[in-house]
Amino acid sequence: MTFYQEKLSFIKDDLYSNDKQIQTVIETRRFIDNNFEKDLKLDFLSHVKFTSKYHLQRLFKRYYGLTPRQYLIDKRIEKSKEYLKKGMTVTETCFAVGFESLGSFSKLFKTKTGKSPSKFQKEQVSRSKLDGNF
Amino acid sequence: MKVTLISIPVRDQEKALKFYTEKLGFIVKKDAPLGGGNRWITLVSPEWQDGPELLLEPAPNHFEPSKVFQDALMEAGIPYTQFDVDNVDEEYERLLKLKVDFSVKPTEMGTVKFAVFNGTCGNNIQIVETL
Repeated sequence: MTFYQEKLSFIKDDLYSNDKQIQTVIETRRFIDNNFEKDLKLDFLSHVKFTSKYHLQRLFKRYYGLTPRQYLIDKRIEKSKEYLKKGMTVTETCFAVGFESLGSFSKLFKTKTGKSPSKFQKEQVSRSKLDGNF
Repeated sequence: MKVTLISIPVRDQEKALKFYTEKLGFIVKKDAPLGGGNRWITLVSPEWQDGPELLLEPAPNHFEPSKVFQDALMEAGIPYTQFDVDNVDEEYERLLKLKVDFSVKPTEMGTVKFAVFNGTCGNNIQIVETL
């Protein structure tokens, strides 16, 4: 057994021995992945998992390193990039990934990616044209 | 400041280039001569070509402490570099068929599944799937 394998075994016993908690957060993440476009509230998630809102939030953060809210936002931004690349308009994309205001979507998109959704889309289109021309 | 580059020390740049492109599936982004037979070679993921670049860095051949550190990590089985994959089991099967040598088979731990293989140029590499 290597040093690394010994450490893994130690970490597994020390930090990841509570299967029930781990299953709960994994299912919560899957639920977010499959419902990111909906109006997700932690109250609802905790109701589904029969646990308190704050407990679920703490567990999620403990095992994934970020809160369910942060994870949801990252998921929506990742999906919106996908939709914009496919040619969906900025407004359509905004609502398709679950944001309710175009202004807040554009602002958040720019904060997370460094560009506005329309600039991101223009760059993707010109890039695919360039690929075809050269 | 932006995070755009991660370096991985390799013993043989040409061999590493072949392994990382032909077996792991990365794409060459930059390849320029640096003198003394060294090159500036960076790779990107095919599905994230404007993402961070991986630099195949020949340090262990020129800077002894880098070699010592790399050897110690290899011997301890420690992967200093890891890549995300969608499915560890599929990637494990695919790489096994390409004769890649694994020191840790697909293993679940908490909210991840991972495996560790020999990157053939002095490094253990870990692949990770978030569960």
